[in-house]
Amino acid sequence: MKKGFLIACSNLRRVKGQTAAIIILVLLAACMLNLWLMLAMDYKQNFDRYHDKLNAEHVTFVITGDDKEMREFIAETLEKDPHTLEYRMDDAMSMVGSFEYNGGNVNTDFVILEKETALTRSIGRVELVEDSGLASGIYFPMLYRGNQEDAMGRTRRITIGDSQAEYTLCGFTNSVMTGSHNCTMTALLLTADQYKALEEKGIAPRSTMVSVRIRDKSESMDFEAMIKNAVSSRYPEARTLSNSYTLVSSSRYISQMICSGVVSAMAFFVLLIALVVIASNIIHYIQENMTNLGALKAVGYTSGQLISSLLLQFLSIAALSAAVGAGLSYCLFPAVNTMMISQTGIPYELRFLPLPFVAALVLIGGTVAAAVWLSSRRIRKIEPIAALRQGIRTHSFKRNFVPLESSSVPLQAALALKTTFSSMKHNVTVCVTMLVLSLVVVFSGLMLENMIIDMDPFISLIVGETADSCINVNADAEEEFLQLMEEEPGAEKVYLFHTADVRHMDGVSLMASVSEDFSLINNQDLCFRGRFPRYDNEVAVAAKYAREKGLEVGNEITLTADGKEAVYLISGFTQISNNLGRDCLLTRSGYERIGHFQNLSYYINVAEGEDIDAFNESVSERLGAGVNITINVLATLNGSSAVYVSLMKMIVFAILVLSVVIIAFVLYLLVRTLLSTKRRDYGILKALGFTSGQLILQTAVSFMPAMAISTALGLVLSAMVINPLVALFLSGIGIVECTFNIPVGFIVAAGIGLVAAAFGIVCLLSLKVRRIAPQALLAGE
Amino acid sequence: MKEILLKTENLSKSFSSGGTLQHVLKNIDLELYKGDFTVIMGASGAGKSTLLYALSGMDTPTLGTITFGGTGDSNVISNLSPDALAVFRRRHCGFVFQQIYLVDGMSVMDNVLAAGLLVSKDKKALVKRAKELFQAVGISEEAQRKFPAQISGGEAQRVGIVRGLINSPGVLFADEPTGALNSKTGLEVLDTLTKFNESGQSVVMVTHDMRSARRGNRILYLKDGAVLGECILGRYQHGDQERHEKLSSFLTEMGW
Repeated sequence: MKKGFLIACSNLRRVKGQTAAIIILVLLAACMLNLWLMLAMDYKQNFDRYHDKLNAEHVTFVITGDDKEMREFIAETLEKDPHTLEYRMDDAMSMVGSFEYNGGNVNTDFVILEKETALTRSIGRVELVEDSGLASGIYFPMLYRGNQEDAMGRTRRITIGDSQAEYTLCGFTNSVMTGSHNCTMTALLLTADQYKALEEKGIAPRSTMVSVRIRDKSESMDFEAMIKNAVSSRYPEARTLSNSYTLVSSSRYISQMICSGVVSAMAFFVLLIALVVIASNIIHYIQENMTNLGALKAVGYTSGQLISSLLLQFLSIAALSAAVGAGLSYCLFPAVNTMMISQTGIPYELRFLPLPFVAALVLIGGTVAAAVWLSSRRIRKIEPIAALRQGIRTHSFKRNFVPLESSSVPLQAALALKTTFSSMKHNVTVCVTMLVLSLVVVFSGLMLENMIIDMDPFISLIVGETADSCINVNADAEEEFLQLMEEEPGAEKVYLFHTADVRHMDGVSLMASVSEDFSLINNQDLCFRGRFPRYDNEVAVAAKYAREKGLEVGNEITLTADGKEAVYLISGFTQISNNLGRDCLLTRSGYERIGHFQNLSYYINVAEGEDIDAFNESVSERLGAGVNITINVLATLNGSSAVYVSLMKMIVFAILVLSVVIIAFVLYLLVRTLLSTKRRDYGILKALGFTSGQLILQTAVSFMPAMAISTALGLVLSAMVINPLVALFLSGIGIVECTFNIPVGFIVAAGIGLVAAAFGIVCLLSLKVRRIAPQALLAGE
Repeated sequence: MKEILLKTENLSKSFSSGGTLQHVLKNIDLELYKGDFTVIMGASGAGKSTLLYALSGMDTPTLGTITFGGTGDSNVISNLSPDALAVFRRRHCGFVFQQIYLVDGMSVMDNVLAAGLLVSKDKKALVKRAKELFQAVGISEEAQRKFPAQISGGEAQRVGIVRGLINSPGVLFADEPTGALNSKTGLEVLDTLTKFNESGQSVVMVTHDMRSARRGNRILYLKDGAVLGECILGRYQHGDQERHEKLSSFLTEMGW
C-alpha cells in the first residue's frame, strides 16, 4: 500500500495539468449529479411534505351556491363513498378573473376565501409565507411574488368577472392545491372587511369550497370525476371547479421535471467526459511510461500493485473532487431553488440531504474505479524485457491508405488523410461525440425556434388552441354577441371554442373542447391522426388516453354529462397537455346531446393593429351583463410563458456552452494522444523540411473527415428523430406526436460552426507541434 | 579552386545544463566544399552531432554564422527562423539517420515521395527519379510497396539514402549511417554513399567508425568543441593500403 501510494504521488506530480482537468471535470459532474439527485429525490417530495403539513385535500371541489340542501347532498355523497377519509366545507366566492403578472395577464378561476377561515381550515389549510401585518387587503399565492412591483403595502389591481377591484397587498400564502393557476383554481385570501365588502358587491357568487381527503391518493382523478358528475347531475345550473392531487402534483412540477432532466443529462455528459479523460490519461501514461513500468516490474512490482497505485491515485482525486463538487451544489442550489419556486410556487427549505450526497459520491467513485480498471488492463500485458527495450508495438500494416504515387490529392491533404485512416479509434470517438453534439445542437435549435423566437408551436402543443381574445358570454346573450361580432370590423375570425367536462363511461373525466366547426380553429395540428369530429355522433379523444384505454379510430365510446349519456364514434386523436392527456373534442351538436351551455366561450382573432384590450372592453360595454369575462389571450400567454422562456434560454445557453466544452475536451484528449503517438513521425517530417504550420494543418485536417461526416450525418439524423424524441420526453403530459419546426438555417449554421470551432480548437491544441525539435532525432531521443 | 558548399565563422554552441553553461562548439571557422565526402570524427562528446545539426539547419548556433553556397547575406542560414530553416532543409539538404527514421505508417515509396513532393510538384518526374534511385540502391519494386518494418535494416537505410537524395540536395548529411546495422549491411550502405559521392553528390558524414571514415576524402577531427585537425585523403579506392595508413596515423596523432 505504501509503495502504491508513493507511485501515485509520483504520477500526480508529473501530470499536474491533466490532474487539474480531471479535478475540474469530476467537481462539475458531482455538482450537477448532486443537484439532479436533490431535485429528483427530494424536490417533488417537498410537495408531499407540504401536503401533509397543511393536511391538504386530494380533491378540491368548488360549486357556486351555499344553500344548506346542496351542502347536505354533497356531504351525503361524500360520506356514502368508501374512498372518502375526511372532508371539509367552507364558505367562499368563486369567479373567473385575472391580474397582471410578469409583463402579461394571468387568467384563472379565483376561489376567494376569508383570511382567518383559510388559515384555520383543518383540511386544505393555507399558510402565510410573508405577512405585512396590514389590517386590510389581499394575500396572493407566493408564486406571484414577482419583483419590487409586488412589494407588500402596494395596491394590486385585479379583475373579478368583468369588474375591477383594487386591494392593498398584505402578504403571500402557500396553498398546496390552490396556489397556482396550474391548479385549475387560484385561492386569494381577503381580510374579513374586504371579504365582506366583496360579498356585498355581489360580483363573485357565494360558493362552497369542498376539500376531500381520500384513502388512496392515486385514485384522486377518478374521485374528482365522481363527485363532479354526481353534483353536476343534481345541480346542472351550478358552476363547478375541481382539481385532484394527481393533476396538481404533476402540473406544478413540470418545470422541475424539465430542469431535472436537463441537469441529469448534463451531469452524465460531464461525468462521461471525466471518465474518458481518466481512461485516456491512463492509456497515455502506460504508453509514455512503458520503460518505467517495465523497470518497476523488473524490480519486483506486480501488475496488481501498479494498477492499485492508479486506482488509489484516481479514486482519491475523484473522491475529494466529488465531495467538494457535491458541496458546491449547495451553493448553487439557492439560485436553482429560486427559479424552481418561481415555477412551483411552493417554498423549499434547503437542508443537507445525505442520500443524494452519498449516491453522487458512490456513482462517481464506482464509475471512476471501473474506468481505471478497464483502461489499466494493458499493464498486465507488459513484459519487463520487451517494455525496457522499446515498448509494445501496435502498428498494423494492413493497407497503405492514400498512396502518394497514385493519389491525386495535394501532399498536405494526402498526409492528413493517412493520419485519418490510421487513427480509426480517434475517428470513432470523434464520430460518437459529434453525433451526440449534433443531437444537442438540433435540440437547442428546436427550443430556440419553437420556444424562444416563436413560441406558437410550443404553446399550440401545450395549450391546444390560442387566439387573440376569448370572450365568455351567457347562453341567452349568444345571439346578440354573434350579431355584434358580424358588425364589428375589428373581429377577423370568431368561433366557438368552449371547454366543458364530460365523463367517459368506462373511464374518467375528460375535458371536452367544443366547437361548431373545427376547420375554423387556428391550431389545425390539434387533431394529428384521423380527423376532427364533424357530426354530432363523433368525438376526437386524446391520444394518450386512447392508448391507455386501447381505443382506436372507429371505436365507439359512451360519454356522459349533466345526467345524460350518448355514444360517439372516435374520428381522430388529439394531443393537449393541459389536462395531462385527458381531453376530447366534440362538435356543438355532439355536446348538446348530453349537456347544455349556461355560457359559451368564443375565440376571436382580431384585425391587425387592433388593440385587444380595447376590443374586449368595447364588447363588454356594448353587451353589458351578457359578457361574463373577456380575456386578452395573447397577454395571458405572454405572462405565463415568460418564466418558461427564461428557463428555456438558460437551458439552451447551458447546452451550447457545454457542447463547446465537450468538443474542446474530447479534441484535447485526441490531439494530445495523436501528438504523443506521432511525435517521432512529426520529428522526421520536420527534419525533412516540413514546417510546424504544415504539420499543424495536417493534424487539424486529419480530424475533419470524421468531424464533417459525423456532424452532417448527426444533424440529418437528429433532425429526423428530434420530434419523436421530444414527444417521448413529453409523453408524461399527454404529448404523443410533435411537429415542431426544424430550424434548417440554424442547424446548418451551427453544424458549420461546430466543425469550424473544432478545426480552430485542433489548430490551437496542435501548436505543441512547434515544440517538436528535429535535432532530437539525430541525438537518438 | 574548390567551390565552397558551407562556411562557418566563429561558430559556437552552448547548452545550459544544471545551471552551468556548457560550450559544446567553440569558435569554429570551417569551409566545406562541393563534391567532397567530408567525414567528421571525434570522441564521444566532442560536438560532432552538434556541428552536424548546425550545418544542416536542424539547430541554430549560439554565436557565429553559417553560410550556404556563396558569401552574400542572403545565404546566411544561421539567423533564419525555424520555418525558413525547414524550407532550407527541404531544398538543399538530405539526411541519413543512424536510427533510419522512416515513417512507420507510410510505405517505402511514400516515405520517399513525402520528402520529394515538398519541393517538386511534378509527381511523374519525381516517381521516375525515385524508381531510378531505388534501382541504384537495389530496392526492388515489391519492397517499395512495403512498410519500413517489413524490410531489413540495410534495405531501410538504403531507402533512407534514396529519401535523402530525392530532391537532389546540395549536401547529404549522414549521422552514423551504419551505427545501427551489421557489418555486411553497413558496408552496402557505405558503398551506396560512396557511389553517389563519386557521381558528384556532396556528403557530410559523422562517424566514430574508422571503416566508415575511410570513405571520406576529407577528415575533420573534433575535440572539445573545436576542430583539432584535418586530413586530406583523396578519393576512396578499395584496398588502398597507403590511404588507410595515412588515416590511421592522422587519428593516432589526434589521440583517437
